[in-house]
Amino acid sequence: MAEVMRERWLRPRHFIFAAIGSAIGLGNVWRFPYLTYEYGGAAFLIAWIIGLIVLGVPWMMMEFGMGRHFQRGAPGVFAGIGKKWEWVGWWPVFAAFLIVTYYTVVMAWCLHYVGGAASMAWGVGKAGATATGDYFFGEVLQLSSGPGVLGPPVWAIVGLLALTWLIVYLIIHRGAPVIGRVSQWVMCIAWAFLLIIFVRGVTLVGAAEGLNFYLAPDFGVLLGGGIWFAALSQIAFTLSLGMAGMFAYGSFIARKGDIANSASITSFTNCATSFFAGFAIFSTVGFLMASMGIGIEEVALSGLGLAFVAYPSMVSMLPVAQGFFGAIFFLMFWLLAISSAYFLAYGGVVIPLMHKFGWSRVKTAIIVCVVCFVIGILYTTQGGLYWLDIVDRTVAFYVLLLSGVLAAIVVGWVYGADKLREHINETSDFKVGKWFDWIIKIVLPVGLLFVVIYGGFMKDIAAPYEGYPLWAASMIWVILIVTLGLSFFLQSRKTRGSMVGSGKEEKGVSEK
Amino acid sequence: MTASAIVTTVIFWLIFIGALGWCFSRFGKAGKWED
Repeated sequence: MAEVMRERWLRPRHFIFAAIGSAIGLGNVWRFPYLTYEYGGAAFLIAWIIGLIVLGVPWMMMEFGMGRHFQRGAPGVFAGIGKKWEWVGWWPVFAAFLIVTYYTVVMAWCLHYVGGAASMAWGVGKAGATATGDYFFGEVLQLSSGPGVLGPPVWAIVGLLALTWLIVYLIIHRGAPVIGRVSQWVMCIAWAFLLIIFVRGVTLVGAAEGLNFYLAPDFGVLLGGGIWFAALSQIAFTLSLGMAGMFAYGSFIARKGDIANSASITSFTNCATSFFAGFAIFSTVGFLMASMGIGIEEVALSGLGLAFVAYPSMVSMLPVAQGFFGAIFFLMFWLLAISSAYFLAYGGVVIPLMHKFGWSRVKTAIIVCVVCFVIGILYTTQGGLYWLDIVDRTVAFYVLLLSGVLAAIVVGWVYGADKLREHINETSDFKVGKWFDWIIKIVLPVGLLFVVIYGGFMKDIAAPYEGYPLWAASMIWVILIVTLGLSFFLQSRKTRGSMVGSGKEEKGVSEK
Repeated sequence: MTASAIVTTVIFWLIFIGALGWCFSRFGKAGKWED
């Protein structure tokens, strides 16, 4: 066995920055502000804060705590509880694996837009502002008519995807110490760029009007189910939980390192960044409405439309330095995404494979990066956006939430929520009470089940997802079943690495 | 900005600053970060 120390964060701040970087991603900027506007401004914020405290923070404590206790990634944690539960840890590994294959493609689009912004390739003034949709769907994606028409890859995006994966490999191939150091820089630069975008946004004409749309309270919506679905689902997605990686990041914490405080800092910093990003986004939305003379219903406010259509339109309408602000925005997006991408690749996939098969870190990282890059080429084809959407619905919704439900049940009822709480309290800066047990055993699985049934099964069984042809929408269920089957298959394979690790016998021992 | 939007802004920033201030004031009190 190896004779060197276990893989560790070199400094507490490395862990905090890496965890915050993994949590903060594209959704903080392109999903949260829109949900706040859509679901009653301050009313949504109340539901979201409740979701953060009741679901988000305890869930993160659970993943950090279990990872630290067993000193393994997600499959190793559940194999440690009992060999028959190992598959519960493999299912979110497939979520991380498939998410990172398309997440990096979105990052490649961002790099394309950094270059495009330098020359304002979509145009300036009103002509440019109205051409951003054609530029994105026509020139950048060369979008086909449907998921059945794949067409050839867009080679410029393939090249930028390869560059992105090369950078991910360079960050992960030396493990947690480098990830921690890099995360500090990545997050500080991304926040600085977000601050620049915020300052530019709030000093534009019409900014106040946009912020009124963002924050105006409508407390009546709190009585409906939609707001609670939106708030709880946003909390589930935004913290990068249910994707296996946080177990691995927790396993890199020193044996006496804090859990409860780190989980709280990570969760609240992530959500504060979302709230702040909303000011940057909606102030520019207000400017776009004022400068174009359009209503808010005519602005793409969410997802790809916000990032790649509405924001470039706003950039086109700026009086000066259009290229600068366009490039800053997409560089910020890329930076927010890369910290999540290497988290998914390393914590979510590389660590579980290393522990299962006993491969070296470099070998595993090369295999994962190359395989993910090759799969990612699918999303660079002319029909790739449709498949990105379908795979995203499958893994970043169903697998993420269902694996969260299973993890909470197995940890809460089989391993014992009280044992986990005692383990967390042994070393944490503040203690968690017995309420934690009931959150892990009851509230977390029930809350996540509510989200997956209300927002998932009830819709997708009634009608094909997003109006796709039935054969394409059915791929959601195919991927779901195949990944679940593969999880059982991996459980059945012989473990060649050190899958189960807990307790004192391994103190000071680790893998290279 | 409307008064309600300003009140919302102030209240939620106070929540975040308060929560993070409370967490950071306790950081390093018990946990030891070296094996």
